[in-house]
Amino acid sequence: MAEYKAPLKDIRFIMNEVFEAEKLWASLAGTKDSVDMETADAILEEAGKITASLIAPLSREGDEEGCHFEDGKVTVPAGYRDAFKTFSEGGWAGLTGNPEYDGMGMPKMLGAQYEEMLYSADISFGLYVCLTSGAALAIDAHASEELKTKYLPKMYSGEWNGAMDLTEPHSGTDLGMIRAKAIPNGDGSFNVTGTKIFITGGDNDLSDNIIHLVLAKLPDAPSGSRGISLFLVPRNKVDENDVVGENNKVTVGSIEHKMGIKASGTCVMNFDGAQGWLVGEENKGLQAMFTMMNYERLSVGIQGFAAAERSYQNAVAYAQDRIQGRSPTGVAAPEKAADPIIVHPDVRRMLMTMKAYTEGSRAFSTYVARFLDISKFSDDPEQKQHAEAMVALMTPIAKAYMTDRALDTCIAGQQVFGGHGYIREWGQEQLVRDTRITQIYEGTNGVQAMDLMGRKVVANGGKLFELFASEVATFIEAESDNQAIVHLLKPLAASVERLSDTTEYVIKAAQSDPSAIGAAAVEYLDLFGLVAYAYMWARMAKVAAPQADADEFYDVKVKTANFFFARILPKSVSLVESIKAGADEMMSLTAEQF
Amino acid sequence: MPDYKAPLRDIRFVMNEVLNSEKHYADLGAEDASPDMIDAIIGEGAKFCEEVLAPINQSGDQEGCTWSPEGVKTPAGFKEAYAQFVEGGWPSMNAPVEHGGQGLPESINIVLSEMIGTANWSWGMYPGLSHGARATIEEHGTPEQQETYLTKLVSGEWTGTMCLTEPQCGSDLGILTTKAEPNADGSYAITGTKIFISAGEHDMVDNIVHVVLARLPGAPEGTKGISLFIVPKFLPDTAGNPGDKNGVTCGSIEHKMGIHGNATCVMNFDGAKGWLIGPENKGLNCMFTFMNVARIGTSIQGLAAAEGSFQGALAYAKDRLAMRSLSGPKNPDGKADPIIVHPDVRRMLLTQKAIAEGTRAMIYYAALQADWVQHGEGETQKDADDILGFLTPILKAFCTEAGYEAANHGVQVFGGHGFIAEWGMEQIVRDTRIALLYEGTTGIQALDLLGRKILMTQGAALRNFTKMVHVFCKENEGNESMKQFIEPLSTLNKEWGEITMKIGATAMQNRDEVGAASVDFLMYSGYVCLAYFWARMAETAQQKIAEGTSEGDFYNAKVQTASFYYDRILPRTAAHAQMIANGGSSMMEMDAEHFAF
Repeated sequence: MAEYKAPLKDIRFIMNEVFEAEKLWASLAGTKDSVDMETADAILEEAGKITASLIAPLSREGDEEGCHFEDGKVTVPAGYRDAFKTFSEGGWAGLTGNPEYDGMGMPKMLGAQYEEMLYSADISFGLYVCLTSGAALAIDAHASEELKTKYLPKMYSGEWNGAMDLTEPHSGTDLGMIRAKAIPNGDGSFNVTGTKIFITGGDNDLSDNIIHLVLAKLPDAPSGSRGISLFLVPRNKVDENDVVGENNKVTVGSIEHKMGIKASGTCVMNFDGAQGWLVGEENKGLQAMFTMMNYERLSVGIQGFAAAERSYQNAVAYAQDRIQGRSPTGVAAPEKAADPIIVHPDVRRMLMTMKAYTEGSRAFSTYVARFLDISKFSDDPEQKQHAEAMVALMTPIAKAYMTDRALDTCIAGQQVFGGHGYIREWGQEQLVRDTRITQIYEGTNGVQAMDLMGRKVVANGGKLFELFASEVATFIEAESDNQAIVHLLKPLAASVERLSDTTEYVIKAAQSDPSAIGAAAVEYLDLFGLVAYAYMWARMAKVAAPQADADEFYDVKVKTANFFFARILPKSVSLVESIKAGADEMMSLTAEQF
Repeated sequence: MPDYKAPLRDIRFVMNEVLNSEKHYADLGAEDASPDMIDAIIGEGAKFCEEVLAPINQSGDQEGCTWSPEGVKTPAGFKEAYAQFVEGGWPSMNAPVEHGGQGLPESINIVLSEMIGTANWSWGMYPGLSHGARATIEEHGTPEQQETYLTKLVSGEWTGTMCLTEPQCGSDLGILTTKAEPNADGSYAITGTKIFISAGEHDMVDNIVHVVLARLPGAPEGTKGISLFIVPKFLPDTAGNPGDKNGVTCGSIEHKMGIHGNATCVMNFDGAKGWLIGPENKGLNCMFTFMNVARIGTSIQGLAAAEGSFQGALAYAKDRLAMRSLSGPKNPDGKADPIIVHPDVRRMLLTQKAIAEGTRAMIYYAALQADWVQHGEGETQKDADDILGFLTPILKAFCTEAGYEAANHGVQVFGGHGFIAEWGMEQIVRDTRIALLYEGTTGIQALDLLGRKILMTQGAALRNFTKMVHVFCKENEGNESMKQFIEPLSTLNKEWGEITMKIGATAMQNRDEVGAASVDFLMYSGYVCLAYFWARMAETAQQKIAEGTSEGDFYNAKVQTASFYYDRILPRTAAHAQMIANGGSSMMEMDAEHFAF
């Protein structure tokens, strides 16, 4: 496995040049006094260093060793504890946390870059940190002052970890069916009882306590998803002086044996009358989770392309080094027994595809993070509302499209290695295994597609979609005289047109056929993702083109943009055709006929 | 872990009804292969796969193989299952009678291979790998070599391997360095290291027969200087039993993503005694004689993945309750509907089904061609060989790519449980991943198809196939109910040729254009082939429905799956066509050093 190198140059290009972070932060009420470029840049630099030197070296061995479950306790693989301690001391878990409780208050646009590096180094390790940040986010948004004061500083500092406890054995996607109960104790606390499964980081020996956010039902709560409340349940009781005490009747049943992310303990958690506190309002637990969900879903998307970045780095190094066969256009390395495989068109096709997806994803995640920041830090109601709408629209794409393409990319990265790609020591197969879960958790990609197609597009008659379409149209209009990228604008416009047309088609079909949404959803999300990436690549090309002669980095950007348009965007043609074939063929078989 | 049930009804549908195997075997002169006989064989095979092999699939994955200096221990139950397999006479089924075989056509063996592969791919590789060694010796061995080795390989008492890959050479065999020095007694001393040798060492049999690629002293460089050698693990004594240990050892086994039950060995040859097989320096040519059949064997891994993961996902989708159908509750008494009501779950299941059943038809069809290659003569043999040669890279690469996609859908249908080992779905993904790599990667197959098979024959290989499709379309021209298939099929069939011509023309200017188009071209070709076989299956099913049948549901499902394939999967060809049309410049322009930006 090649050594991980944080792609700081590309991160800066996207954050600073394409999306003009400095200008944005200076303009927002919530960031103009607290964030400056110098700090942001130092954070990136440091994140690049610490992830590459401290965490990335753990990943391979962590996968081999995995987590252990003994005597009711989960222990992490060798090296993880020390690394976590060092890492936490840097305050990374609180990077985007609320400064009132000792968080650093950095914007998500920066946080997204740091998360990428963290996940590239090792998804398993990153999960411990990011689950804590995610739980802290929900607490910060919805919990009482008392809970916030008590728990947030310790979570930001990494002294305590966080976990999210939603899924139960019979209810995953369909949370309306959960059975965990919460009975009021009379003192403002609740007794929480139930079994939760698939709890990432549900228990571990990285820190002194685990703060669980548990979905449960109050007595007489309405049935279904409107009767779910959110509770904060610490694994160990914490006294008034914040001293961690005895176990709070929160125990681990077992850990799962999984395809990947083996260094991350996936726990069955048993709550047996554990003491917990309500977070947010009664029966509004799902809404409380939704605040955090947008961040979490973006974060999972980032996991995907972060692993893909690692796979790409490895594949490039291998393709430059491995010699096999001769170039079809003549010997390229006459001094060697064969040419490096990077001369072969098909190897290049795989590498270019990986590069185009990964850098496209980086741009896209930054684009979405930017809207998250505007919606959080702006004091202009109109700007805020627009950003919230864009977040709502883009979040399912960020989660599903980024992870789907990430798996493709990691598979390609394995393919470049030939047979060695299948062997564990080279690391490429681990990236495939680790990435596979990102298409599943935090709402499967099918669920994301339904969210996009149903709630975000059809339910509002395409209003949110129009926001995106008009943004791209404005860009095309503004650049129409830009000779450097004019060759990209035509196919971009055509692809947006195709997407608009398909959007209308589905909205119309859904009026008479309830299956139309589900039948179109996954391919629609794919199509939307492609068009969004085409837009990203056009924007990158726009910034890069004027500098292409002076600096190879920018020249490569333009070439990669060209590749995306020539060899990837055509997929949109097929997707439209599939969607327009309609739902009939999918629904006609009886369950038995399968 | 899903139970495996051999899809006997579908196997019969493809063999008997679509491909008319009864006539095929009669034409072939394979008197023993009567429909009853075949049914009995396949039924027995199914039982063995379901009852013996499937139950040790997951445990084999978890336990894996264990290496020690004494050798490799296979997972619990593997050895016993193999003994049963040999006792049942299964290894000899398709071998010539004169070498102790039962002389049944290869195509029947392919059906058995499918069932074995779906039940337990890792296990199946042990007998499966013997195929290459067996075919080489059968084809090129001297009578003595055949007497000594072939009989034992046929009976299954010994297994075989093919030792090709070396640390520095995989796809490019021209740079292999293993040496063969002549001994005074006519044998050779083989020295070198081979890697990725599946079943190179194990505890299931008394002896392992390696067929090793090596270079004679003074051999020409590159692929024209490679010869084949038989190198047994134990040197047979005068009675033909395993005698002295030969100088060949297993240095280690690989830790892999999947197929843990199969030992992937580093084999060290240290002056090991070997015997030349076939002419000097013609080793690669000798291997090509059976490469096609070997590659059908690998393509089955795609079919097996699709079938196995489909069976698991289907059972789960009918059982697992989550959410309500958007068109109203389908299971009003339950807390939620089974997830098979949801369109997207159906999309995944139908994709798996279309791939499993479609690739089955494709592979079985190819297997019938293999029968003619082995047992036919003159024109018949040549035509079959041409078609098989053309289909082989498509089968190997497309079926495994599609099967891998299906396996990933299987995980996805299971949601979070798909990622958990005990449910078995993620194992299928891990096991199948290798199929896209070994026996020539997808990229290598694509170059073989477009370069060697099509452009080097000026398109003749493709025309053979498109002619057949064309005739089929013509035959169905007036058939209203087939129109939904015939129209797109005949359009694509025509476009296929046009795309090929265009690539041929651009490749004259720039040879990189072949490689730049190759994988998209292969996938395009695969989808069109699958469309042809789905149309044939739909045609058969519609005939049965028209004739009147008590199995209306079965045949209707066939037609509907065909419609699904045409409506929702076949459109992928449009993207591949456009990517090919956009050429290779955007992938070739970048400097190799600049990829790292």
